[in-house]
Amino acid sequence: MQVRPGFVLEVDERTPPLLVHQGEGLTLERFPLGTRVVYPPESLPGVADVDAAIAAALEHPFNCEPLRVLLRPGMRLTIAFDDLSIPLPRMRRPDVRQRIIEQVLTLAAAAGVDDVQLIAANALHRRMTAAEIEHIVGERVFRSFWPDNLYNHDAEDRDNLLHIGVTDHGEDVEINRRAAESDLLVYVNVNLVAMDGGHKSVPIGLASYNSLRHHHNSHTMLRSRSFMDHTRSEMHSSAWRMGRFLADHLKIFHVETTLNNACFPDRYSFLTRREWEWSVKDQAMAYGMSRGLAAMPTRPRRKIFHDLLADYQVTGVFAGETEATHDQTIASVHRQQLVEVDGQSDVLVVGLPYVGPYNVNSVMNPILATCMGLGYFFNMYRGRPLVRHQGAMILYHPVTPEFSQLHHPSYVDFFSEVLAESTDPATIEAKFEKQYATDPWYVHLYRTSHAYHGVHPFYMWYWAAHGMDHLGDVVWVGGDRAACARMGFRAASTFADALEMVSGTVGRDPSITYLHSPPHAIADVR
Amino acid sequence: MGLRERLAGRRVFVTGVTGFVGEALLERLLSEFPDTQVVALVRPRGSHSGMARLERMTRKPAFAGLRERLGREGLAARLAAQVRVIEGDLASMGELPADLDVVIHCAGEVSFDPAIDEGFATNLGGVQELLRAVRAAGARPHLVHVSTAYVAGLRSGHIAEGRLAHEVDWAAEQASAARARQAAEDASRSPENSARFREQAEAEHVRAGAQTVSAQAEAARRAWVAARLVAAGSERAQVLGWTDAYTFTKALGERYLEDSHGDLPLTIVRPSIIESALAKPFPGWIEGFKMAEPLILAFGRGELPDFPASPDAVVDIIPVDLVVNALLAAAAASPPPPERPAYYTVCSGFRNPLLFRDLYDYVRGYFLADPLPRRGRGHIGVPEWPFAGAVAVEAKLRRGEKAVEWANRALAHAPRSERVRRLAVDLERTEGRVAFLRRYSDVYRAYTKAELVYVDDATAALHAAMDPADQVDFGFDPACFDWRHYLQDVHCPAVTQVLRRPRDAAPARRMARNLTAGEGVLAVFDLDGTLVSSTVVESYLWLRLADGDVGERARELVSLARALPGYLRAERRDRGHLIRSVYGRYAGADPVELARVVDEVAADVVLRRVKPAAVRRVREHRAAGHRTVLLTGAVDVLTRPLAPLFDEIVATGLEVGADGRYTGRLLSSPLVGDARAAFVDHYARRRGADLSASWAYADSLSDLPMLRTVGNPVAVNPDVALHKVARGAGWPIEEWPSTPGEPRLMVASRAERGLFAAAARARVAAGGLSGSGSGGSGVVRVEGGEGR
Repeated sequence: MQVRPGFVLEVDERTPPLLVHQGEGLTLERFPLGTRVVYPPESLPGVADVDAAIAAALEHPFNCEPLRVLLRPGMRLTIAFDDLSIPLPRMRRPDVRQRIIEQVLTLAAAAGVDDVQLIAANALHRRMTAAEIEHIVGERVFRSFWPDNLYNHDAEDRDNLLHIGVTDHGEDVEINRRAAESDLLVYVNVNLVAMDGGHKSVPIGLASYNSLRHHHNSHTMLRSRSFMDHTRSEMHSSAWRMGRFLADHLKIFHVETTLNNACFPDRYSFLTRREWEWSVKDQAMAYGMSRGLAAMPTRPRRKIFHDLLADYQVTGVFAGETEATHDQTIASVHRQQLVEVDGQSDVLVVGLPYVGPYNVNSVMNPILATCMGLGYFFNMYRGRPLVRHQGAMILYHPVTPEFSQLHHPSYVDFFSEVLAESTDPATIEAKFEKQYATDPWYVHLYRTSHAYHGVHPFYMWYWAAHGMDHLGDVVWVGGDRAACARMGFRAASTFADALEMVSGTVGRDPSITYLHSPPHAIADVR
Repeated sequence: MGLRERLAGRRVFVTGVTGFVGEALLERLLSEFPDTQVVALVRPRGSHSGMARLERMTRKPAFAGLRERLGREGLAARLAAQVRVIEGDLASMGELPADLDVVIHCAGEVSFDPAIDEGFATNLGGVQELLRAVRAAGARPHLVHVSTAYVAGLRSGHIAEGRLAHEVDWAAEQASAARARQAAEDASRSPENSARFREQAEAEHVRAGAQTVSAQAEAARRAWVAARLVAAGSERAQVLGWTDAYTFTKALGERYLEDSHGDLPLTIVRPSIIESALAKPFPGWIEGFKMAEPLILAFGRGELPDFPASPDAVVDIIPVDLVVNALLAAAAASPPPPERPAYYTVCSGFRNPLLFRDLYDYVRGYFLADPLPRRGRGHIGVPEWPFAGAVAVEAKLRRGEKAVEWANRALAHAPRSERVRRLAVDLERTEGRVAFLRRYSDVYRAYTKAELVYVDDATAALHAAMDPADQVDFGFDPACFDWRHYLQDVHCPAVTQVLRRPRDAAPARRMARNLTAGEGVLAVFDLDGTLVSSTVVESYLWLRLADGDVGERARELVSLARALPGYLRAERRDRGHLIRSVYGRYAGADPVELARVVDEVAADVVLRRVKPAAVRRVREHRAAGHRTVLLTGAVDVLTRPLAPLFDEIVATGLEVGADGRYTGRLLSSPLVGDARAAFVDHYARRRGADLSASWAYADSLSDLPMLRTVGNPVAVNPDVALHKVARGAGWPIEEWPSTPGEPRLMVASRAERGLFAAAARARVAAGGLSGSGSGGSGVVRVEGGEGR
């Protein structure tokens, strides 16, 4: 089957209203004539036999001996894997990580390895619940290893961290002790977007605050142009230095996977189809959902969204030495997501979906929404940003000041205390980061409950630093006014009002680009 | 000869100089009669001597003109030179000078509904003491007694000036009134009444414990005694033909003077309703609120929909400066012969009548032209009175009272929420309005019943006899002014001035902010409802439903549902009983298992339900170096997730039996009501903490004793009863919102529970087979294949 590539549509008289995500809701928006709409390529077909592809990758790795050869009796084997922040939405069972882990375990058993531990590389993310872990590793692995030999990484467990050394840039490399002291570390990843994987896996996923602070700060994040291009991202450069340093001390066997764009289940196929090709049923669904969701109470609406499981297909399995593997992975991601765009525009429009990496089974609070919009969507480019310097960004999201006390306790305080003082990433970093990072209550919640680390909201804010620096104006359509104001943004009721509001920055007749996502698209801006 | 000359060189004794009329009189004497000596009776108050009080008084607005004329020092010098202070009061006047020429007796009880003994002590006893003191000093002054026109009582038609026609025996009434208090005190202690007070107090305060109930019952008894004495006064007055205890006791005071003044010349001056000044000391001068002002203000605020008065009744109002002038004229006139006392009624009703309808029209016209501001939101509209008549107004008032009563009852049972609290505040306001209407409608009913006209021929003659110049300076002709002018240009602007003053932005609600750091300070927190939005029953459910299969959960729910009405009753009566009965259900549970459930499942629920503002506050207290204490009736394992926030956690422990399982009994009595206060008190003593600097946070009336033990009590999302108490006591009331969107009742999903069970089984199996500890478990091969 021939798959149509991504393309840029120019809105004309015949263009129907276009679908825009708005948190836990959908809108159909009629964009001004001449608006450019960036559509990702259609979903690529997956590999026919995933298990065979995995077996092949393990047997014929890049720049590395086959995994079979690396395994020997009496060795310490650790398998680390990406946590629930990817892929989004969750993947229908079996998760590709489960398939890989099962094969790795089978090889290990065959080789007589009996010291095996599995670690979720959640860095400063929240501990996953048993059910969440089980969804990733599968029932059989879970039953065999949980909880003693299958667990969440704990970045605050001093005894189980190992400071390995310092890079030539003076960066501390400190990761999970069990992983660091293993004879072999197998890392299993899902490379949802170009930002993931490579040396971002081990040196970040298994690290401590002490190590993370070297690249997760306002300085490097401002100089990561963009996160989706690791060759031009200072954050990635730092991670790469750490990864190379680590590779000298620890044998790492990287398994990376890529997925296609089928990020919604079949019955919601209109979400991934182009509007002018919608069937009558699709049109009815789109209309019904946009109205129905708006009328629904919060809880059932949230349940509908968070219960979604994506029918992803695996487009590639690559294994071996980290960098050699990652090159293959990135190429595969680009095949699915890259769209050529000709030049920048004055205004970038995005609709933020209900979920981001940090609110799985939870609520996207204003800080996460900012990170999602100005951190991720803004950075969905290669080369130059989609919007010109000092241009405007218009985002669709309700920005409800609603927080999960369980998952985001430090966010609540960050929002009401830190942002009340300043919204400048560097300022709040200097003034508040340390206090939040070392706060014993947040540390307690991170370690024993299901809370993101105390410093996590700062990282979210830093993600947006490049966007905030580049943009001249940020307006949220449908956003809560008070919450937007708290974060230093403005809110508009409608898209027309938002355009009116940014006219001071970009004029009355700006060029507009709408990034039609999800599914993900990386704009290759020429 | 003019007034000034007549009074020059004479010595005038004035009582009640700190009152409304007395203050105006003193101002007049100081400013216009420098050659008249004044002896003033002033009660020393606190550390202020009588003279000091007078000096302070001259700083008030009434003396502004004089201050301007003489200068601050000049005024002080004038005061020192002209006024001699006798320290004393109506109960005991001390020694008076022998050379008094005139006594002007302004002092008296002016409230309409004094307790009967107090009314008599002041208005009759005061006159008796005055005569005694004057006679003891050997003085022979002219007695000018300030009474009221309304001593005439409930009569109709024209009332002439002169001795009142009644045969009431003042001595018998006085003796009875003096005994009334003891009788009421005794009656209030009867077993029937004691039981009634206790039951009332229990109905409202039982959750707060026995000490609070007792205190409430005693307060209710005192209030009952007070109300009974007031009722005794007004009922006795009305049965004898007076409007209220005020006019009744004033009338008997007059009668006593008439009977006992002997050879002293006696003049009785009877003003009607005294209101703000027409011209002196300045137009509109008024001090405190008199009879009509509360009504005028209520009307201006749009809170008075009608009034039980006939529109054609005469309202007899007289400006205060006219009364003062009449007093001066009466004092300066040649004293009447002792056997024929003089009577002067100072009123407006005969020569310049003001009909109720006109009063209403003028006041309404005033507010229509110049409405009161509604804070930041335009203006308040005034109602149009239908003058439906006393019966209709009374019926309406009754309906209002009934409605308030029902609403109160409904609110007491309403679940607590911010909306309910707002409703409670609104209701309290409505209740205040209805009570206000009731009071004024009762007070004025008697007055509006008395459709009479006071004749002031003698006063007119006194006025006519004055020098023409004095008639200008010291006139008291009630026909000399126009009511529209007086009401709209003088009186109403003066009365409403306070409400028109631009107010500062509303001060931020007193928040427990900027905690002073310090050792020896406790911060005590309640758990259920304050820190976490939950109840005892709910948290029990979290624990019990987290485990077990579907059938068990259903059985548990059904049996709980059956017991629930009983629990709700217990919650209202006795929290300790509720805790005991709910925790009895833990019988047979495994403590280890329960702790595991808390750690794995319930901790999530607790942390989801904990209020962010609460956690922040606890942490602020910790940062300030305070000792944080969690005080709760909840079962102790449930507090585990919050443990790191507190220095001390006091929770309910469950007894573990010989079989290692819970027996369903508590380790000790649950800490509720008074017991919490006692605990905090004892704990503070043990820790050497300063309770007056300490903090307590709670949400329910049952925590009232605990809140009262500390210097900084804070009501958090309070129930209606505590809300009322906190508002009354001026405690900070804070709204700590729970995180929106979190479901109220949450138990782990079945999938999760299944996983835990499976993992537990696997652990047992692994342990049993390999016998190895943690670390290398030996299980590498993936088990079975049925999981797909």
